[in-house]
Amino acid sequence: MKKALLGVTAAAIALSTSACGQGLLGGDSKKDKGPILLGMDIPLSGSSADIGPDMKNGAQMAIDEINAKGGVLGRKLQLRAEDDACDPKTAVAAANKLVAAGVAASVGGYCSGATLPTLPVFDRAKIPMIIPAANSTELVAQKLRHVFLVNGTGDQQAAAAMAWVTKGGAKKVALIHDNTSYSKDIAVRTAAELDKPGGPDKATLDAVNPGESDYSANVTNVLKSSPDFIYWTGYYQEGGLLLRQLRQAGYKGKFMVADGSVDAKLVKIAGDKATDGTFATMTQTPDTIQGAENWISGYKQKFDADPGPYSTQSYDAVRVAAEAIKDAGGTDGDKVVKALEGINGFQIFSGPLKFTPQHTLTNGGFVILVVKNGKFVLQDALK
Amino acid sequence: MSQLIWNGLFVGSFYALVALGYSMVYGVIKLLNFAHGDLYMLGAFSGFAMLGAMGGLIKSSSLVALFVVLILTMIATGLSGVVIERVAYRPLRGAPRLSVLITAVGASFALEYGTRIVAGPNPKVYPVRLDGTSLNVLGARVTLQQIALMAVSVVLMVALNLLITRTREGRAMRAIALDPKTCLLMGIDVDRVIARTFFIGSALAGAAGVMAGGYYGKIDFLMGFIIGLKAFTAAVIGGIGNIPGTMLGGLVLGLLESFGTHWVGGEWRDVFAFGFLILFLTVRPTGLLGERVTERV
Amino acid sequence: MNALKDPPVKPVRGRGPTFITRFLESRHLGWAGLAAGLVAPFVIATPYAMNVMTSAVIFVMLAVGLNIVVGYCGLLDLGYAAFFAVGAYTSGVLSTELKLPLLATVPLVIVATVIAGIVIGGPTLRLRSDYLAIVTLGFGEIIRIVANNLDITGGPSGIYGIPGLLGDATSEPVVFYYAVLLIVAVAVLLAARLGRSRLGRAWRFVREDEDAAEAMGVHTYKVKLAAYIAGAVWGGLAGVLFAAQLSAISPASFTFLQSALMAVVLGGMGSTPGVVLGAIVISLLPEVLRGLADYRFFVFGVLLIIMMIVRPQGLWPHRSRER
Repeated sequence: MKKALLGVTAAAIALSTSACGQGLLGGDSKKDKGPILLGMDIPLSGSSADIGPDMKNGAQMAIDEINAKGGVLGRKLQLRAEDDACDPKTAVAAANKLVAAGVAASVGGYCSGATLPTLPVFDRAKIPMIIPAANSTELVAQKLRHVFLVNGTGDQQAAAAMAWVTKGGAKKVALIHDNTSYSKDIAVRTAAELDKPGGPDKATLDAVNPGESDYSANVTNVLKSSPDFIYWTGYYQEGGLLLRQLRQAGYKGKFMVADGSVDAKLVKIAGDKATDGTFATMTQTPDTIQGAENWISGYKQKFDADPGPYSTQSYDAVRVAAEAIKDAGGTDGDKVVKALEGINGFQIFSGPLKFTPQHTLTNGGFVILVVKNGKFVLQDALK
Repeated sequence: MSQLIWNGLFVGSFYALVALGYSMVYGVIKLLNFAHGDLYMLGAFSGFAMLGAMGGLIKSSSLVALFVVLILTMIATGLSGVVIERVAYRPLRGAPRLSVLITAVGASFALEYGTRIVAGPNPKVYPVRLDGTSLNVLGARVTLQQIALMAVSVVLMVALNLLITRTREGRAMRAIALDPKTCLLMGIDVDRVIARTFFIGSALAGAAGVMAGGYYGKIDFLMGFIIGLKAFTAAVIGGIGNIPGTMLGGLVLGLLESFGTHWVGGEWRDVFAFGFLILFLTVRPTGLLGERVTERV
Repeated sequence: MNALKDPPVKPVRGRGPTFITRFLESRHLGWAGLAAGLVAPFVIATPYAMNVMTSAVIFVMLAVGLNIVVGYCGLLDLGYAAFFAVGAYTSGVLSTELKLPLLATVPLVIVATVIAGIVIGGPTLRLRSDYLAIVTLGFGEIIRIVANNLDITGGPSGIYGIPGLLGDATSEPVVFYYAVLLIVAVAVLLAARLGRSRLGRAWRFVREDEDAAEAMGVHTYKVKLAAYIAGAVWGGLAGVLFAAQLSAISPASFTFLQSALMAVVLGGMGSTPGVVLGAIVISLLPEVLRGLADYRFFVFGVLLIIMMIVRPQGLWPHRSRER
């Protein structure tokens, strides 16, 4: 009797509320009028929490610029940022939240590992993704039509590294990564290039255990192979320690880092003496592009902070999305995807944009930086 | 080869220092203080905070500054250890093992993420660095700083051993390890002795933390997690509850890791260490020097 | 002689159990909960809500599995995520390499998790509880690092493109939710049934006093291993569901932090309804309090300490039916 009473009460409550909007029997929530929402899955908490706000600001800057010029197709743009905490489960929940909010496109994605599971979520909802930072090959390996990367990929970075190493006349190159997906990708690809006959040779390919302090074992290993050039493809926390310990061990050759280590803290951790003269492969950032000083000062004024490493890519992602929506004449997912594929020469920070058939940048836009007086400056634009 | 040995011994001395605190606490109240590794982290951070506060004094005499900070940090972490014991462990003195273990896990989380809230998630860089000239000893590159740090560790460990074996306090600790109830009857203030044990063990971990901060330069709020596990492994290898054994265990673990990563590759370092932990627990649970049998009672 | 008028002990005058208390302790709570779960999509069915609810249900399964090990048998397994990983990766690798739907991989997942349970439980179950906790944590780390380093598990990028449970039809969020709800409901019922069985009673005996149990003829080692293996299978199956939901798994999802320990401790170790409720709360909280994400683990830590000191039996403790 009691059980039946409970059951009936529950059912009554449920059915009476089910008619309200979002239940199975409710209506749809697609938006055709009002502001165009752009969704952004970025890390705002967790291990990469400091990257998220810079990306959000970069995107917001683009949105404000476009809105000031009248918006897109007469509608204003609006940013909707959700925290993915660089965790797959949180990222999927955030992606679903964005889909439920009715975003027209996704312009977020930093951690490849967290972005990868969100692909089917956006795919099911037919929402195009223009990913500003995450760039592991798995993202495009599934050949999903709606995924576009506006950051240089691992193989483009490896190619840039190869070009510089060859230009510099290195004989034996040691590669070190931290066994995370993006870092390992670059190192392995560079190793493959080095293994090809002619040009510099590979001294060794080694991996460190991220989060540790003592890398003496790796240092010993790497130095044993007598390299004259070392390329570190991981992040600045380990990179700084590694560089310092290598120099302390007496390594006198050249050192290069990938874009994950391009951060002022690398210099701090390794010390000025050790870092001076260190190279870096990096996508174009405001400080290395001629004429970008206005952009930087505009950013500083607006947000009272320096732009971060991916502020420009996020800025560009929004602009690309807006351009595509304009070309497509609306927010219909398939049309926008077609428009994205058709973009030819739209100017973004890394050069004129044209997507490859795999939906990556034709021109990776990687340049070589060098550390001078504790700061990263442009060394070679690798044209 | 000799470089590998030296690397191993150097890392091992850090493991040994942290493992000692672990082992001491276990010896006295039979609790594996899960939060012990986080005291190492607290030491590193309080050292960082103190050095930051000292600011201008540092440039003139960095080594002296570091030494002073070392002493102060040891006191600070020691006190933190006592507070943790008072707040989290003493109320559960009579409770089932499971409860105390869970509390220890909770204390660990609270310390780690509490530090994160206060200091931020990004790693910090120590303002005082121990850079240095290196000598060549038997084919291994050895820096004076490394020797200094190892010397400090050895001094601390020897002091600890003297404390345990020669002083009355040490006798009290050993007595409580054997039979706490009788100790109460004999008039030993068990609570005070346990508090002192925590103080000493935590102080040692804090010392290791400051030294690691000064030597390696980078500290972050999760650095205690892995060190805690490695310290436990070291204690098990050497014989938990046994001071010289734990010291030996730390050095042995450092050497094992050094050679292990040389053969198998850097990314397998932790697997190697834990593999040895499991091996020892299965094959020789008393450890290398252990006299204590793993009782199930 | 005037005992009735002047009783030696004053009779306690109080109110009987209220409706709420009786409701919370009734055996019908479970069924009411299931009914709520079944009806929930009628109230709100956005992809976001479905995603969050499905995650919560999968987490319930994980918590119930951990409850068998920690709650019923008293073995503090801090590396429980290892079984979660084994299940997810086994089904992930098999389904992507052999192009099978996930349900087809389940028998192999069960085999894999049983083996994992024996391999991990074998050496460790002879140890005291403190050692057990740390060694299982070590094993958890080993499994995660191995998954991170090997190519067959996709290395640090993990495995992607994992198909749904039974082809694309089940990828539709609402259908998937109901499928998961059904599977987990059965699993929870089985776990509760197991807890009430003879084996369950042996587990509780071992938890209360291992030596007395041994003295009474209970093969403590076998009993503990059985708990471990049961926990492993539950965890592994939760892993399969996890892989199905996310379609891409990587080592980052199997760290020590993803442990369901908080849920088990909060809900009540050994109490199935408690653990289910605890799991739902712990799963929904981060979504509800998205802004406070940075404080989450600090609060968990403090809460664990407080729970153990103030209410170690959990918020909805096991109500023993044996009187």
